[in-house]
Amino acid sequence: MLIKLTGGKVYDPANKVSGELRDIYVEDGKILAGVPDARPDQTYDIRGKVVMAGAIDPHTHIGGGKMTIARMLLPEDHQGDPVARTELTRAGCGHAVPSTHLTGYRYAEMGYTACFEPAMLPANARQAHMEMGDTPMVDKGAFAMLGSDDFFLRQLSEKKDFEAIKDYVAWTMHAAQAIAVKVVNPGGISAFKFNQRKLDLDEEHAYYGVTPRQIILNLARALKELGVTHPLHIHGCNLGVPGNMETTLDTIRAADGLPIHLTHIQFHSYGTEGDRKFSSGAPQIVELLNKTPNISIDVGQVLFGQTCTASGDSMRQYAIGKSAHPKKPVTMDIECDAGCGVVPMRYRDKSFVNALQWTIGLETFLLFEDPWRLFLTTDHPNGAPFYTYPHLIRLLMDKSFRDEMFQKLNADAQSQSILPSLKREYTLDEIAILTRAGPARSLGLKDRGHLGAGAAGDITVYKDNKDREAMFATPELVFKNGELIVKNGKVVKVVQGATHVARPDYDRSIERPLKDYFERFHTVSLENFKLADDEIVTGDKGSIVVQPTAARMA
Amino acid sequence: MRGEEAELDSALERAADLLDRARFPVFGGLLTDIGGAAAALSLAEKLGGVIDHAASAGLMRASKVMRETGGTPASFGEIRNRADTVVVIGKAPLARDPDLVEKLFPAKPGLPRPGDNKRELILLGADKAKTPKHVSATAVDSRASLPELVALLAASLREGRFDLRDTALRAKIDAAAARLRKSAFAVFVYDPAEIEEPVMHTVLEMVRHLVLTTRAAILSMAAPGNGDGVNLCSTWTCGLPIRTSFAGDVPQHDAWAYDTDRLLKSAEADALVWIDALAGDTAARPKGAAAIVLSANPTRAAKDDIVIEVASAAADHDAALFLPPLSGIGMVKAGKADKGKPTVAAVLTRIAELIDERRAA
Ligand SMILES: [Zn+2]
Repeated sequence: MLIKLTGGKVYDPANKVSGELRDIYVEDGKILAGVPDARPDQTYDIRGKVVMAGAIDPHTHIGGGKMTIARMLLPEDHQGDPVARTELTRAGCGHAVPSTHLTGYRYAEMGYTACFEPAMLPANARQAHMEMGDTPMVDKGAFAMLGSDDFFLRQLSEKKDFEAIKDYVAWTMHAAQAIAVKVVNPGGISAFKFNQRKLDLDEEHAYYGVTPRQIILNLARALKELGVTHPLHIHGCNLGVPGNMETTLDTIRAADGLPIHLTHIQFHSYGTEGDRKFSSGAPQIVELLNKTPNISIDVGQVLFGQTCTASGDSMRQYAIGKSAHPKKPVTMDIECDAGCGVVPMRYRDKSFVNALQWTIGLETFLLFEDPWRLFLTTDHPNGAPFYTYPHLIRLLMDKSFRDEMFQKLNADAQSQSILPSLKREYTLDEIAILTRAGPARSLGLKDRGHLGAGAAGDITVYKDNKDREAMFATPELVFKNGELIVKNGKVVKVVQGATHVARPDYDRSIERPLKDYFERFHTVSLENFKLADDEIVTGDKGSIVVQPTAARMA
Repeated sequence: MRGEEAELDSALERAADLLDRARFPVFGGLLTDIGGAAAALSLAEKLGGVIDHAASAGLMRASKVMRETGGTPASFGEIRNRADTVVVIGKAPLARDPDLVEKLFPAKPGLPRPGDNKRELILLGADKAKTPKHVSATAVDSRASLPELVALLAASLREGRFDLRDTALRAKIDAAAARLRKSAFAVFVYDPAEIEEPVMHTVLEMVRHLVLTTRAAILSMAAPGNGDGVNLCSTWTCGLPIRTSFAGDVPQHDAWAYDTDRLLKSAEADALVWIDALAGDTAARPKGAAAIVLSANPTRAAKDDIVIEVASAAADHDAALFLPPLSGIGMVKAGKADKGKPTVAAVLTRIAELIDERRAA
């Protein structure tokens, strides 16, 4: 079936198309090059409407053990936002941590067609993929968490051959069915098990003697040499600690030309100025980042309201447990690999700290020059649930709206912030880069995030509305692989997205030491640890897209 | 084979008729894998029924405590490798798994762990009759009740003042508390089906006190019959744990109201789907209400039940289950795959299709 979307204003920055009137043709799920004399089976007249590729969230916690712990922990979150079953859609509930089906529907209803879970513990990959399998509508993928696992820490401390480290990283990506690798509080989750309560960039792990700097450099180099497109995804040291901007600046310098991605950088951009010893480090950090083209970031914007933080960073989650709201934090140690912490949180505009977090995130967005290296996230649900994205987009695109919101903040936070002096307003082109083209390029999704020939027919059509929050909250039409799935912000067809993975080459002899390690210390066998393709593709559900990797470098 | 297939088809048709007519069906037992649980959730939602599990009592207690106060769990492998003090509370953990101590104290050394204490087991309210020789163990047992023992240990841990006439017990309690204070990673093991909520709160308080300066955690024994797996699947799928009803407009969880036994005794539920199809486990079908029994253990049915013989998860087919040693969901390969019998998931999915056909007609 050939469909034609005619007369829309197309924003497709990957193909350098900026608001031009273009017709788009889709056949068999793929976008075609222009077909002037085609006879479409179906035509959508979208004159005056804004057209973009389906949006991609490169960092959103949608699956895996910690999210279901959060779901169990928060009956108030769940019973407060229940959704009935319809002929088409499943029942569910939850606001900050919605059930899986709702997550899929709500993302699609907001014009998103792909979501990436950034913190999958390899030991828990099976459950993470099951949850993502129960998240319809969107494509998905996951980043394997490494860096506090004993096998790797031992490789580093014993100064094993670097090729073996690369093999282990690649093996883990295969076994856990990952598209990228994330490090969370590098070495710190393991250090916490040895009762270290903080671990700075050059501080040694009490047992292994390795430092976060070494962990970051080894993993980042391994991924680069393995040819994995997305660089090491780093949740740095000292999350949330006043003064952590120095650690972040040191981490940026440490990369020394290696590609890395610094995630939810807002939580790592805190200074210690002022009476309350808490201030914005965003200007200094962004100034350095603007000169450092090898580094991309996402913001992890804080927006006000009730949410729940969930992270593999058990060390820092334990530390913030005292500010939990409601007061019921969970801290967990997990299987040789990692840990996690789940802490319910309410961000208030009248709180000095929360208000400053809000301004720090926005300062980062507005000062950062290259939209291709910046992704729009709230680190769902850590900074805010993902439904707040349209509000965030309006804050970025509308200076007067931003000023209005700023007036509501805690007065001390207002007097400290440079935000009112930042006049920048994001353009639709830039929003399309932040939410589509940039994440696709960074994750190596060749056929997503753009509207060129050969791309998947993932397309979002918006009514052009000066109120950008309203515009982005309720797209008129959303297509997934060429099928209409959302109309006027409501699901009209339920589809199942693909799971994207990357499979770099590795030397299978790494399984020999791994097998021994599993037999001695793990509770499952090496074979059982690996997730098979047919666990993701079951019956008519799911499919796997292997995204290309570059050739391995020695 | 033909005869068996015809028999299966007719049983499925009768099951679809029964469920299509049912006003308020309950899906109980749920001794099945994640695939079976997902299919049961989907069908219960379609029919406006309830999902529950045979081992709900302990699960509900544990989840209520977590919802009230959070938690500090550690996974089984983490404890086995790194805990230096393990306190087993009550008799149920060892009754549930007689090899628990051997598993938690393997003879070979584990991963590097904090501190240099020799590993030690403390049995609180249980005797150490079956402890392997290589494990250094002490038992704190007396005629005092388990809640009392836990309260005494908590008081002694905080070095609070309290009186206890039984001086022998006092000495043991104080020694255990002293050991906990000098532990690098202490872990409390309990079965939520054995101890009441206030006792669990006291244990969590001990952990919170210890983690101010060192590391400590709990291991709550997993429910039998893949109860934790079914509960997790329910929680991610509909946002609520088991004992959830889909009868109203929106899903509603109530640990008391949506208990299978209560729903059958009160005759609120008018149909029961009883699922008992997990290798090495079984649960007796409760009395009351017309029932569809999906069983790998066919003798468990009552006279008028519609019995559908199904494959046993993890014996006849590969099964994703909550595995206590992994403290998470793992895949268990079937010893000898038996393709002759349908899985729970296949049966429930087929019944759903038959109901759709009836409703469309
Ligand atoms: Zn995150």
